[in-house]
Amino acid sequence: MAKKILIIEDEEIMLNLLEKKLKAVGYDIVTAENGQDGLDILRSQPFDLVLSDIIMPKLGGLEVMEKMSQDPVLKNIPIIVISNSGQPVEIDQAKRFGAKDWLVKTEFDPQEVITKVKKLLGE
Amino acid sequence: MALEEEKKETSPGEATYRETENDLRQARSALLNILDDTEMARRIAVEEKNKTLAIIQNFSDAILVFDENNILELANPLAEEYLDEKKENLVGKRVDEFLALPKTKMLMQLLEVSEGSPIKQLFRKEFMASPNFYLEVTSVMLIIDSKLKGTLLVLHDITREKNIEKMKTEFVSISAHQLRTPLSAIKWTLRMVLDQDIGAITPEQKDILEKSYLSNERMINLVNDLLNVTRIEEGRFLSKPEPVQIEELIQSVVDNMQEEAKKRKISLSFTKAGRSLLPIVKLDKEKMKLTLDNLVTNALKYNNNGKNGRVEVFVKENSEKELQVEIKDNGLGIPEGQQSRIFTKFFRGENVVRMEVDGSGLGLYTAKNVVEAHGGKIWFESEEGKGTTFYLTLPIPQS
Repeated sequence: MAKKILIIEDEEIMLNLLEKKLKAVGYDIVTAENGQDGLDILRSQPFDLVLSDIIMPKLGGLEVMEKMSQDPVLKNIPIIVISNSGQPVEIDQAKRFGAKDWLVKTEFDPQEVITKVKKLLGE
Repeated sequence: MALEEEKKETSPGEATYRETENDLRQARSALLNILDDTEMARRIAVEEKNKTLAIIQNFSDAILVFDENNILELANPLAEEYLDEKKENLVGKRVDEFLALPKTKMLMQLLEVSEGSPIKQLFRKEFMASPNFYLEVTSVMLIIDSKLKGTLLVLHDITREKNIEKMKTEFVSISAHQLRTPLSAIKWTLRMVLDQDIGAITPEQKDILEKSYLSNERMINLVNDLLNVTRIEEGRFLSKPEPVQIEELIQSVVDNMQEEAKKRKISLSFTKAGRSLLPIVKLDKEKMKLTLDNLVTNALKYNNNGKNGRVEVFVKENSEKELQVEIKDNGLGIPEGQQSRIFTKFFRGENVVRMEVDGSGLGLYTAKNVVEAHGGKIWFESEEGKGTTFYLTLPIPQS
């Protein structure tokens, strides 16, 4: 069965590109356009991995990760942050909430995101 | 006749008496004149002193004067205000006693104050006196007739400048983040089109899109440079110093640049003094890589293309205390008149701008800040038309 990934990203074009790229590799993709929707979806079904932006309406990525880290089930899902920001303070905070990696969008190609995802999923 | 002459004659005793009286009268008048002059001089001196005191009292900076034994003699009202202490609690105290006062502790540490040692000479050194209150301190030795008579401290309020600087930094930081959002969208879209993830493209389309991808990368680099500068200015540029084998770091930078060097027909080499490994240094690896990248890129970029262009990177152990890296080119060189400005923000040499329009003028500014934040030094030797060598040192951690 295909591994299931949730993408939480408010920027439509990035969301579409990521979805397309990951679907092409064979993953099952669910998307959310803000942190609150993302968290609701996470609580409704199981996921193998989460890709999340940081600065988003309603609920930011760091808050989503904080809530996930307090949830006995959700805290085990690996998270990769994809953000335009890359401040050490934020990165440290995200890692404390369990983020496995932090990718600055301008420094990474979608292909490199795939590589990271595969590695995290042990493929 | 003879009788009259006889009458005018006086006895020798009387003559002496008159002479003495005359002398005394003259002496008295001279003495009175001297007293008058002295009184006048005293009045002028008092007036001058009052004037000087009035200037000090009303001066727009805080002024503190210590005597030759480092005891505070004078503090003007602004000094009381800035240090948040009454004059009575300040004047008459020895400088090291101020270490115990919470409000003056920071200042005294800057002045490296300790019992019996002289006050350190500083010129416009910034510090935060209390939250959102910034001062600049200058300390000068008062030397009169080549003897040390005391130390003058001047404290200047720079809170306003600091706040403007902070606002400017925040503005650049926010704009840079906002700029990154569309840039990353463009990058990812172009990449996926180029990788034919969206569908097949013709070689001609590919060629054009490759060029726009590179333009976008240039813009990303420019924004990153701006972000780095704002981080430097916010004082949070360096993070996570980790043990690094410097030759490995330099080798990876040089390897990454080989393709670019080949394109420009420049030979790029890296050598290390001696056979054994160099001592480990503690670096913010990412920032140091950025710095070396900047220096090697400059050496390649500002070279006379195809005319035996050479860039040599060299590293050695200067002493037990430091490593030295050299980046030598035989390129354009820096015009002598502009050499003093080379590490300033946004500066680009005139000869360089003529040759290559692109460039933010932030690379060397960033390099200097990174090297200095590591406790190292950076400098250069350059001759226009002959080339430039950049030197940088990095301290070896002493165990």
